[in-house]
Amino acid sequence: MSGIVVAQRRRARPSRKLEPLLPAAAVAAVLAVWQWSGLFLNPILISTPAAIAGDLVQLVTRGVIFDPLAESLEELVIGGSIGIAAGIGLGLLMGRYELVDKVLSPFVNFLNATPLVVIIPLVIIWVGISQNARLLFIFLITLWPVLLNTVAGMRNVNRGYVDVGAAFGLSETDMLRKITLPAAVPYILAGVRVSAGLAIIGMIVSEMEVSLTGLGYLLITYGNSFLTGRLLAVVFISSMFGVANVMLVKWVQATFFPWIAGAAAEQR
Amino acid sequence: MLEIEHVSHVYETPQRRVEALRDVSLGIREGEFMSFVGPSGCGKTTLLRILDGLAEPSDGRIVFNGRELTGVSRDIGFVFQDINLLPWRNVRENVEIGLEARGTPAADRRRIALEALRMVGLEDVANVPPYTLSGGMQQRVGVARALALHPKVLLMDEPFGHLDNFTRETLQIEISKLWSKLGTTVVFVTHDVDEAIFLSDRIALFQGKPGRVTDVLDVGLPHPRWEFNVRGDTRAIEMRESIIQHLGVRDEVLV
Repeated sequence: MSGIVVAQRRRARPSRKLEPLLPAAAVAAVLAVWQWSGLFLNPILISTPAAIAGDLVQLVTRGVIFDPLAESLEELVIGGSIGIAAGIGLGLLMGRYELVDKVLSPFVNFLNATPLVVIIPLVIIWVGISQNARLLFIFLITLWPVLLNTVAGMRNVNRGYVDVGAAFGLSETDMLRKITLPAAVPYILAGVRVSAGLAIIGMIVSEMEVSLTGLGYLLITYGNSFLTGRLLAVVFISSMFGVANVMLVKWVQATFFPWIAGAAAEQR
Repeated sequence: MLEIEHVSHVYETPQRRVEALRDVSLGIREGEFMSFVGPSGCGKTTLLRILDGLAEPSDGRIVFNGRELTGVSRDIGFVFQDINLLPWRNVRENVEIGLEARGTPAADRRRIALEALRMVGLEDVANVPPYTLSGGMQQRVGVARALALHPKVLLMDEPFGHLDNFTRETLQIEISKLWSKLGTTVVFVTHDVDEAIFLSDRIALFQGKPGRVTDVLDVGLPHPRWEFNVRGDTRAIEMRESIIQHLGVRDEVLV
């Protein structure tokens, strides 16, 4: 009986030690198979990790990537931050004033439900084929998640916090400033993350559909030329935008709102 | 000092109409420790929230020092069962919240909050986030938050309900000591009969459906209570027995 138990424990131990390495091992395995497939697959189909890495290095050393990257970043930062700021602002108004909420929410819900890529032709009609069209599109696609999350955050304040504010005689303004707004921050941050992710999609899509610039231009050009290695190198760079977004929001939360993680850990 | 006059409270849920309190009348004397004891759902907490102005009676009124009470009074402090310390504020800032509502200048707020924290033995953790504290310490902060306003009446809603037995008994002694030191009037809601006997001058017994006060008992044990074994005292044992019988707990268990 005890022998069996010991045997089980021995078997369990090494796997537990190796567990943290599993994701890295999985990635390495996929990369290895991919690389090996290059021995018999046409490189135009999917290229190989080594070739893509080489192309990535070349894009940087030859300086090809810098102008498009700068163009993309500029659009993303301007369009995205205006969209997020406007989303938070409108959300605060709708969360604060029932009347504003009632008037705006049908439009907000309709536009949020619309796959906004469809309005690109309309945006072009409005402002022409220009950087403004791309900025406007990024703005329009960014607005909604953070707006809706801000409203939801203000509507879902822990009842107990509201009780505390009421019992200790906070005025309506103080209740908003000292209870409702801080309590809504976790929702707002989650909304920012989703909105910023959409801003990245909006950036690439508008660069491919409105006018060829930035990373979208590189993607289309390399695709049309069957330069799959370079194409995937640019895809990799685009992925890094998404990774940077998630890391940035995490950093903001950990640095400026450490209580979110602390309070969540206590709930468990 | 605090008169509860024919107070009823009815609220509607989508499913049904709940009569939480029916015609409750009770006088609370200045400086006394009064407990509301009864099973869950008998209106104790509702009455406490009405006393704090967090809820309004459907009928009847509360008279506080000769004046009818409307809304939250600055002379009445509240200690919640779920303390709900605000996680975005440190311990001291949590204690300051009532003072902020009164427009007390920052320096005074700080001094008064630290003083209140000292009373509950927590001045050392003034600057840490509340979620790093144990349940017992958080409850002490909840008491300090109410004490910082120097209330004439302290309302406590099952403040030790979530705590383990050891912490609970320590806090019972601390509350008893604070009460005899400050001379504040305390109204204390609990469903723990021993706790009520240990702490109180008088105990109001509540019964449910609809919630009403069916008896008010004088505890009559000498103070300070922490200096003798209240639980083993003959009078306390008899009182415990009669309270339990009165509330019908025995009958329900036997049936």
